[in-house]
Amino acid sequence: MIKVIVVGGGWAGCSAAIMAAKAGAQVVMLERTDLLLGTGLVGGIFRNNGRFTAAEEAIAMGSGDLFVAMDANTRHKGIDFPGHSHASLYDVTTIETVVKNILQNYGVDVRLKTRVTDVTKLGKKMQAVILDSGETLQGDVFVDTTGSAGPMGNCLKYGNGCAMCIMRCPAFGPRISVAAKADIKEYMGQKMDGSSGAMSGSCKLVKDSLALEIREPLERNGVIIVKLPEHLIRANGLGKKACTQYALPEYAANLVLLDTGHAKLMTSYFPLADLRSIPGFENARYADPYAGGNGNSVRYLSISPCANNLKVDGIDNLFCGGEKAGVLVGHTEAVVTGALAGHNAVRYCLDMQYLEYPKALAVGDFIAFVHEQMTAKDGLKVRYTFSGSFYFERMKQMGLYSTNRHEIQQRVEQVGLSDILNQCLV
Amino acid sequence: MRNRLPTRCIDINSIYCPCILAETNHCVYCSHLKGEPVCNCDWAGVCILNEKGWQATSAKQKWNWDETRTRQDLEVPITALELIAENTYAMRVLVPKELARSLDCPGSFVFFRRTEDPDFFKFPVGIMSVNSETIEVVIETIGPKSSRMLENGTNQLIVRGPYYNGIFGQPWVEKMANGNVLLLTGGMGQPPAVPIVKKLVENGNQVTAIVAPGKIGKIFAADIFKNLGIKVIPVISMRREGMAKFIELITNEEVCPDLVVSAGPDDQHHGIINVMQAENKNIPMAATNNATMCCGEGVCGSCDKEARGGKKVRTCKVQTDFISFI
Repeated sequence: MIKVIVVGGGWAGCSAAIMAAKAGAQVVMLERTDLLLGTGLVGGIFRNNGRFTAAEEAIAMGSGDLFVAMDANTRHKGIDFPGHSHASLYDVTTIETVVKNILQNYGVDVRLKTRVTDVTKLGKKMQAVILDSGETLQGDVFVDTTGSAGPMGNCLKYGNGCAMCIMRCPAFGPRISVAAKADIKEYMGQKMDGSSGAMSGSCKLVKDSLALEIREPLERNGVIIVKLPEHLIRANGLGKKACTQYALPEYAANLVLLDTGHAKLMTSYFPLADLRSIPGFENARYADPYAGGNGNSVRYLSISPCANNLKVDGIDNLFCGGEKAGVLVGHTEAVVTGALAGHNAVRYCLDMQYLEYPKALAVGDFIAFVHEQMTAKDGLKVRYTFSGSFYFERMKQMGLYSTNRHEIQQRVEQVGLSDILNQCLV
Repeated sequence: MRNRLPTRCIDINSIYCPCILAETNHCVYCSHLKGEPVCNCDWAGVCILNEKGWQATSAKQKWNWDETRTRQDLEVPITALELIAENTYAMRVLVPKELARSLDCPGSFVFFRRTEDPDFFKFPVGIMSVNSETIEVVIETIGPKSSRMLENGTNQLIVRGPYYNGIFGQPWVEKMANGNVLLLTGGMGQPPAVPIVKKLVENGNQVTAIVAPGKIGKIFAADIFKNLGIKVIPVISMRREGMAKFIELITNEEVCPDLVVSAGPDDQHHGIINVMQAENKNIPMAATNNATMCCGEGVCGSCDKEARGGKKVRTCKVQTDFISFI
């Protein structure tokens, strides 16, 4: 039986594991912490702007399991906030067990608290991953969805130090990049000023620490916009963020809060004393990162060079998804790239032609465009997402953006990919 | 059970970390402190870069090699000296309590030199035992540095320490509990074997020692071992008699050890590994570090050994299995 090893249990890894299992492989998924979903545990936003199109394309192609799970666990549907329309917010406090159950239903062997520390390879082929217990785990093909957040040294050198985020590196050990351990030279994303890395774009407040006049409309509407006092408006802070779709003037002049279970604050970090000087926030506390007044996790320091079919350049049997696959942002982006990586991993073992999402679909154009931009001047300074910034503009220009489910299904049908990821290949 | 150790720095997260190697971008562990752009380490403890950042902040000044976070030279008195074999002396040295306490572990060593000698005369000396404020060691005065040590009836010396990387595979010794351990020791390997045995016995292990006189021609630690309650098998020659006994023990399933400790010359380590490979045994092994050491701080390079993959490691700092040098 084909054995696929997925390293990293975030949204991309979960998606890859499910798709590889659907395609007929035996799948082992390794996650170094005690929870799946990684930064997805503090995310929550999906279906906003072009992400709606991408999610529907994924569903039409048969890789919609995780979107269905998110839909079933939303706190709010169809909300609008500055620059974003028809967003859904899944409940970050309950989604993890839902996803774990889905993986188990597909027979994925999920191993938590299992950290990969190294790999072995022969020529251009990876043979095994080495775990921190010393165990060597052999596989036929590997999927690297280790993400790019942290570990501590990176957050220190390129950010404001460890802010004790959900990645919890000191407790579970540092993230490693499978591709880097296999001697692949990786890309580093940049900030607008040219320095390396980028800070996560949002943090979470404990909802119960906010005053009723904030909390009540937030829970009712899913969003609340609080005008910042004059002295706290920071015009320059936006360029350092990972999420360029929130680098809008509205976010500099206001606090934008979303209800994802916690109160998601759409800024990388906000000094606590300043935050508490705003009416309604007198008792505010951070849920993630714990030191959200100081900083946030630093991302994009280990992006693998890969083809549009997500095979890592230089290794025959390594695929990547999520932030490893490009300077991209978001759960939707992680799920669609992870799905392709997991599916193509099985195709590798069967000596089949790799699947590539066609450019007639938003997901295909997206991957191709991101890869093309990454080699262009200043391309690594931009983050790409279906939900805003450069890529959403392009989606609209190219006529790829749609909120019409039927139309999206038809597009997928036209390129002959309906339900393609649902098929067992073995 | 896992039979190989990951490569580690012996000083990691100790009060001597980050050390001068972090300052010069040659840290043996942190990729950032080696001048690489991103994290690529395997350390699940306190991030060295983070620690370095904190120390820089708290000191509010550039890190200073001469200040507290490094080992200090101390002038100390020799309180007892006994000739136990030709050119071989057991000696007791009175040191500050703190230093004595920090040396009370397997693999610890110090540097000695004559008070009036320049710094480059210092040589490494393994600790045999620690008692309150006294450390007991055995020195062989045959080299250009050590032969001057006791000239003219000197009763003072300079000690510098503590250093810790005296045994490769030290974590095996620290962690092995309620197991069956076989020690092979001889000659100048006997003194560092004493704290190893002490630790193993503390952890409830059954220890058997094969002891040979070695090059110095004397078994002097047998009584100490017996007092620690272990079984001692004295042999005339490790090569001829000891190895035969070793084969006999590891091929007998009932007494086959969980850990082999080799406290002796590198030839002995190689011999033991050869035997284990010939017998198709993969038993964890700890072995004394016999590298020529001059500075003890990972700087001078005298203790360099080539590890598997052609990588040079400074063995005064880097902790690994001895077999990775073969």
